Amino acid sequence: MSSRDGLVYGAAALRAAARGDRIVWAMHRAALANGIVPVVPASAVADAFRTEARVDRLEGLLAGSQVEVLGDEGARRAGELAARADTSDLVAVAVAEAAARHNAAVVAARQNALRSAAGLLGHELVLYAV
Amino acid sequence: MLLGSYHWAVVTKRSVSLADEVASAVETAAKEDGVSFSAWLSSAAERQLRVRRGLRGVAAWEAEAGALTAEEIAAGEALLARLLSGVSGMASRVRRR
Repeated sequence: MSSRDGLVYGAAALRAAARGDRIVWAMHRAALANGIVPVVPASAVADAFRTEARVDRLEGLLAGSQVEVLGDEGARRAGELAARADTSDLVAVAVAEAAARHNAAVVAARQNALRSAAGLLGHELVLYAV
Repeated sequence: MLLGSYHWAVVTKRSVSLADEVASAVETAAKEDGVSFSAWLSSAAERQLRVRRGLRGVAAWEAEAGALTAEEIAAGEALLARLLSGVSGMASRVRRR
């Protein structure tokens, strides 16, 4: 068990916030109060905006988050990792990759793809499953 | 707005004064991170602005959904501490508003 330096949010974390999950908001507040700015892969943002009507709440959460765009290199890495993890869930792969790169804990849905991708990166997944 | 992309942003020059020990610590940190003194300071300021905007976002949600109670705030802090110490968890009971 090793410590983590930050947080990465998956789409489920954004959905939970949009739906008013108070513990997620309380944890987000605690992170910011400790100077931690959670990271959110852009693909997770896209997925949350696809399903959630309360975009005002999503905007509120994202105001205190760092949205990461994949870019050319990142997209290639994510695609290759998804192939190795045998998944088409590019959001989960992007979350796992960001968590490994930032040595961060993850707030997301429990997904096999997330665990597989983290494992392939040699990163022990620390997950708060929402 | 180009937060997070110092190298792409239009740069404004400002003359700032720092305490000697702060300037020295920033210089060391910037070297360790492989960035310039200015880039390091810009990144730190950007982070602080994001925290500020984020806390305003939390306040806006609280204004609509009800302020977080002391118990909820403590639970959020405890959850964060557990995650940062490397302990996984699962939402047991979701309270929404």
